[in-house]
Amino acid sequence: MRAAIKRGRHSMRLVTASGFALAWVLAAAPAEAADILASIPSDLSVTVYRAPLRSSGSITLDDLGGFALVSETRTVRLPAGVSRLRFEGVADGIDPASAIVTGLPDGVIEKNREGKLLSPAALIDAALGKPVTLLRTDKKTGKSARLAGTIRSDAEGGVVFETSEGIEALRCSGLPETLSFSGVTDLAATPTLSVLVRSAEPITAAVTLSYLARDFDWAADYVATLSADGNTMDLGAWVTLANGNGVGFPSARTQVVAGRVNRENRAVEPLDIGGPILAQCWPRGSTSDPPQYLQIDLASPLSAAREKMAMTQTLAAAAPRLTEITLTGRKKVEQEQLGDLKLYRVPDRTTVSSRQSKQVRLLDRSSIPITPVYGADLAADENAASAPAHLLLRTMNDASHHLGLPLPSGRVAVFAARDGGTLLQHESNVRDLAVDEEVEIDMGESSDVRVASQSDQTGDSARAETLPLVPGTLRLRPANVGAVNRVDVSNARATEIHFELRLRLPEGGRVVRADHPLGTKNGRPIFRLSIPANGTVTLRYQSQHG
Amino acid sequence: MRVQLLSIGWVFCLLAHAPAMAAERALSVTIYADDLALVQDRRDIEIKGGRQRIEFQDVSAQIRPETASLTAADISIVEQNFDFDLLTPAKLMEKAVGHEVTIVRVNPATGAETREAALVLATNGGVVLKIGQRIEVLRDDGLPVRVIFDKVPENLRARPTLSVTVIGGRAGTRPATLSYLTPGLGWRADYVALYNEADGKIDVQGWVTLTNSSGAAYDNAQTLLVAGSPTQVDGGARQPNYYRGSQPRGTLQQAGTESGSRERLGDYYLYPLAELTTIANLQTKQVSFLDVHGVPAEHGYEFRNHWLGTSETPQSAKSIYSFSTSAHAGLGDQLPAGVLRFYMRDKRGDPQFIGESRIDHTPMGSTLSLATGDAFDVKVRAVVDKRTRLSAFDWQSEMRYELTNALPRPVTVKLLQEGLWGDSRITAESQKSTRRSADTAEWAVAVPANGKASLTATFETRY
Repeated sequence: MRAAIKRGRHSMRLVTASGFALAWVLAAAPAEAADILASIPSDLSVTVYRAPLRSSGSITLDDLGGFALVSETRTVRLPAGVSRLRFEGVADGIDPASAIVTGLPDGVIEKNREGKLLSPAALIDAALGKPVTLLRTDKKTGKSARLAGTIRSDAEGGVVFETSEGIEALRCSGLPETLSFSGVTDLAATPTLSVLVRSAEPITAAVTLSYLARDFDWAADYVATLSADGNTMDLGAWVTLANGNGVGFPSARTQVVAGRVNRENRAVEPLDIGGPILAQCWPRGSTSDPPQYLQIDLASPLSAAREKMAMTQTLAAAAPRLTEITLTGRKKVEQEQLGDLKLYRVPDRTTVSSRQSKQVRLLDRSSIPITPVYGADLAADENAASAPAHLLLRTMNDASHHLGLPLPSGRVAVFAARDGGTLLQHESNVRDLAVDEEVEIDMGESSDVRVASQSDQTGDSARAETLPLVPGTLRLRPANVGAVNRVDVSNARATEIHFELRLRLPEGGRVVRADHPLGTKNGRPIFRLSIPANGTVTLRYQSQHG
Repeated sequence: MRVQLLSIGWVFCLLAHAPAMAAERALSVTIYADDLALVQDRRDIEIKGGRQRIEFQDVSAQIRPETASLTAADISIVEQNFDFDLLTPAKLMEKAVGHEVTIVRVNPATGAETREAALVLATNGGVVLKIGQRIEVLRDDGLPVRVIFDKVPENLRARPTLSVTVIGGRAGTRPATLSYLTPGLGWRADYVALYNEADGKIDVQGWVTLTNSSGAAYDNAQTLLVAGSPTQVDGGARQPNYYRGSQPRGTLQQAGTESGSRERLGDYYLYPLAELTTIANLQTKQVSFLDVHGVPAEHGYEFRNHWLGTSETPQSAKSIYSFSTSAHAGLGDQLPAGVLRFYMRDKRGDPQFIGESRIDHTPMGSTLSLATGDAFDVKVRAVVDKRTRLSAFDWQSEMRYELTNALPRPVTVKLLQEGLWGDSRITAESQKSTRRSADTAEWAVAVPANGKASLTATFETRY
């Protein structure tokens, strides 16, 4: 079922009502409805949305949490009266409740998604209590004997049938035997959507079917290349989109949407993908088998039906994983506003194949000025052993920084130049960044810049007096002022660096004395320091409790 | 045509099982919102005089047998049984213990068949047979042996079966109605809303979505949907959420007070399907019930900050669409609970999905305010600038909210600060707030196109 399905193998087909009356499986639609198969899609559009819960980072091909809006235009020829219009080859991850059909002249009576697919077990199930033919082949002569019979049960995987000779169980005798079914079934091979529609006169119409389908995802993959002096970078990005469905979308208009959209999580409608004919038998132990403890099966109400339903949910797990990765040319996607979201349109029609990930160019910007900033986040009044500082690359998302365009979330790989080539320096996640937002690329830890903090618990008041008062400190309560803290920041690099030290204070606490200028960022105290090349800066502060 | 087809179906059933006759059938299915349905199955049954067993094989596999009841003129019910002992080869052999079966040995070289009668002695692990005076293990040598049973034991069936033993007063065919409750059938509403940004209007279509996982098909059933659930599953109402920070955002802004023309049952609304429909097992079926065009809708932004919420990076405001369900300026209908999906046309005019929101059962005349997702370009950064302890139980908190708008048009963000319970006061604010409730203060902050706005407020609280 999950195998790749090529569109185009179905041709227009008409099955009349009389054909259905003869079929041993009764049609699900009212008896007078003719069965019409919609043509293969003449126009396809796929809009891929990200996994709603992922705010940054790249996609995982094994577990695509996003979804897509698929729109297909198909041609239908409807006779007068009620017809059952069938759309075959929709994505396996279809959310049937989201399906919209437009372009039908009169009223749509109802939309259906059949949950039962054609399989050997489904054939037996449908033939229960109905005449079938038993085929027994003689292994020696190759002759087969045909015997008319009726299936009496297919419960719990065993098949019991009745012939003129009596009651027998399938494949318990050791003889090659099988069942042969007559007539046609209306069970479909792939998830199929059908629409019951009434038309006053025979018409030909172009019908558009839109639906949401799971198992798609996309993210932006940025590549930042640092210049030799480390003051600018070139930024390029790909849109990486993936389709984990077994259905491909040939020459489709393809879009991706950035921004988080609300999705209500809801149980997926069960789908019975069927299974093999198990033909379970009675106990078949022999005298040469090793002894076994006697096991008596307790009757369990309806367990078979429940298990079967549970089994249907494992459908996704059995699917083969994505294999193909396609890189298209350097033509960039076009961005437009869609409500409060950003829509990126792939410029040309492209084929989104089954189980494929595809990359389209998102942007290319060069000489973006960046400021490397080292930083540490420390709890106030606590001792901390020497630890490496964190490095961030900071810039602004505006035109003066050669940016100024919405940056969708994803992953950024930072490369640095070396001997004419480039080497990967760090990889990190980025969130959705609007125009005029500050951009911070996490570069990991730097062992060249280290921070150590010490709290001087002796409380030497004479030394404390030497620390200048932080401007704006009005209500200094000497009783609440804590010990002097000493923070050493060392720089083993051959250049001067910017360093930001942020402090976590208890509720109501504040820094009252410090020997360096104090700032505030997001409501927390921050010291912005300049550390000379191959030098060390020592900072001392005192805080007051609330 | 339909009658003919049905009768063919019934002939098959009669051939296979059905000790009693049953013919022309009228099915009616009433589906409640929470996975519960009432099935009423009316058919002609041939009643013989005296005691007789009537089997119903095509009932839901998840039937609640204690709710089943059979009514017909001039019969009295003796007992009702729900048999779930299923017919499998192993059970067939197990029930044959102590009985005779026919075994057919097939000579692998010649294909010649030898028939013998055998008594089944035991089926524990393997089948032990007594043939004449010999004791043998069935197929111990691996050679092909067919086993033929005379009949299927009485209470073994392919599917769980409801059987009713009745005593008929007078013989003859008469209509009987079997009704029962079953889980496995459910319905909900799905809405499609197409938002037109230029004139601020939405077109809304409503579909009821039926799902059937009950294990049975309901052919040509008269279907009635009830917007409500008559039983309280798992013991009662939703637990009130005492943790203040995590209250979900309500979608109903103003509960409506208008009455519609829809049929009601008690306080529930009824949605009958216009035509007979066939609900196949595992089928998802959708039937339209609402189609309204050009309803005025408003688009706005909302940001909720929990108490002392402070963020390192700007957080997206929620994108909100609100509209009315009243008769004169809205959808003009009650909305059964379900999911409303919003679409909007892109530059080429193709509808694109922009998010969805769940709605509760909504009376007519209500105002709904639905969040479809996060705005990419409208962000808010809430910062606790300063916390000062004024006295042992008195705190002063200075909050700053920085709003940014990267859209080329001005927007207004509804900014909500939650968690102001007790005798919290706002002592200073840069813009006048309205107090939505004791808990929540609200500001409508205008943010210029491609610009920024800032709001500060000082709170005095007990914590």
